[in-house]
Amino acid sequence: MTVEPALAQKVTIRDLKFFYGDTQALKSISLPLYEHKVTAFIGPSGCGKSTLLRVLNRMYDLYPRQRAEGQVLLDGNDILAPNTDINLLRSRIGMVFQKPTPFPMSIYDNIAFGIKLYERLPKAELDQRVEAALRGAALWDEVKDKLQASGLSLSGGQQQRLCIARTVAIQPEVILLDEPASALDPISTAKIEELIDELSARYTIAIVTHNMQQAARVSDYTAFMYLGSLIEFDETSKLFTTPHEKQTQDYITGRFG
Amino acid sequence: MCVHVQKAAGLMSKGSRVADIAVSSGGMGQAGLATSRASVVRRFRRGDSLFRVVTLSAALSVLIILCGVLISLVFGAWPALRQFGLGFFIHTTWNPARDDFGALAAIYGTLVTSVLAMLLAVPVSFGIAVFLTELCPWWMRRPIGIAIELLAGIPSIIYGIWGLFVFLPFVQSVLQPWLIDFFAPIPVLNILFAGPPYGIGVLSAAFILAIMVVPFITAVTRDVFETVPSVLKEAAYGIGATRFEVVRRVVIPYTRTGLVGGVMLGLGRALGETMAVTFVIGNAHTISSSLLAPGTTISAVIANEFSEATDPMYVSSLIALGLILFLITFIVLAISRLLLMRIENAEAK
Repeated sequence: MTVEPALAQKVTIRDLKFFYGDTQALKSISLPLYEHKVTAFIGPSGCGKSTLLRVLNRMYDLYPRQRAEGQVLLDGNDILAPNTDINLLRSRIGMVFQKPTPFPMSIYDNIAFGIKLYERLPKAELDQRVEAALRGAALWDEVKDKLQASGLSLSGGQQQRLCIARTVAIQPEVILLDEPASALDPISTAKIEELIDELSARYTIAIVTHNMQQAARVSDYTAFMYLGSLIEFDETSKLFTTPHEKQTQDYITGRFG
Repeated sequence: MCVHVQKAAGLMSKGSRVADIAVSSGGMGQAGLATSRASVVRRFRRGDSLFRVVTLSAALSVLIILCGVLISLVFGAWPALRQFGLGFFIHTTWNPARDDFGALAAIYGTLVTSVLAMLLAVPVSFGIAVFLTELCPWWMRRPIGIAIELLAGIPSIIYGIWGLFVFLPFVQSVLQPWLIDFFAPIPVLNILFAGPPYGIGVLSAAFILAIMVVPFITAVTRDVFETVPSVLKEAAYGIGATRFEVVRRVVIPYTRTGLVGGVMLGLGRALGETMAVTFVIGNAHTISSSLLAPGTTISAVIANEFSEATDPMYVSSLIALGLILFLITFIVLAISRLLLMRIENAEAK
């Protein structure tokens, strides 16, 4: 695992364990997310990829009997500490889900909702922010004439880009993508992948995907997980060409998983 | 097992074709098999049409009962309506001794107690439902949920007795004096909360009604809140929304239609509630500007006076009241339908 020392660690995960009740879903995971890089998480279903993402913005707090141990440092501060302001944390670490989740309101309000939670802006400025977010998610041209239509009236691919726009609009530092393209057609997928590439200039990105080509295409670093353990973490180009572990090699060549 | 099921399904859907083949195909063994299949299929079809008739008649019985009730109400109310005409709806006089009847006081009492009850009950019910679905520790959810269902199961006569012997003394000695003093210096509102504290009255009835409808609205509201997909809530939490913001901007908009339904269910019950209201409202055929004054409702009048109504015009007037209650409930239902349609149309745009 040779890593250039010059890279800043935006998020540092140290010895993270996670439990659903009595079941341990993550076994002592340690890895960094480098600033302005895309880190992909691959592995068979149930290996803990999504669980890991849900720890990073403490989404598990919503549910009983789920707990995390270890450390997750965001800019050096442990977000698992009980005194962490969860709302502030989630504004700094945005998340996009597998299925598009537009809120039951207009396209405009879907974006403005998140902004208005944190900032009180004059109407004109809010309009600008909404437009910028929609442009950022490559959706503006498709929706600019129907901003007041329901977010649910868009196609699946558009809805997903709306959700990305919504996440971008509140200007987070880290974006978590949980299989953002798995419910989409190839063209929408391509658009989302382009978008990820553009977003990585400004944000630190973690993406869970089942699609190995996608991981290879969009990410700078890749983590391979299996049964709750981190098997291998390396630069994507190295992991996909010269994996150190046999399990990794078997998985990326399609021999199991 | 699985194969059998598939075969049976195939038989049913291709029933007619199997029968055709049975007639046309000439092979010896084949023909025997096909005939027996055809008879099986015929039996299926008989059972199916019987099923259809049974369910259809069940559905039609609703319409027949509804029409029957409406016809007998109109028939019974006809003498009174002919005698008093439209005046029946706008007069407050209710004088059995002189055979002079007007329904306005009862209509007013019915509407005011129900609307007040909804104003009191809806926020409380929504609060309980939000707490139960979003905030409540998991071990507390079941006990509170069961308690609410039990509250819904208490017979209304018990609410009436409790209201008369426990709640009213409290209202008379504490709540009403306080309301009168508090609102005395405020213009307009001091008219609504004026007069001597009788205990009994429109406001007391509204309180009891509110307590009675809270479990209904809460139960419906909780159920529709639980239909919100958790990913949608997570998405809202995921951009840092607080619980209140998630409820206000995601949960409630998502469940709007269901919420209107729950409120209307409560309103329907409040409009028709009889026993508890009769105990605490005072049964006075007057319209008072004060909410603390005694009043009456349509169902309370009918329950109170039907046994002593000997004069045909008296009976007919009571039935006419019943017809009016029927119409009010119908109008409330129609308005809620209209409301839902407008919400849906607005969303479709």
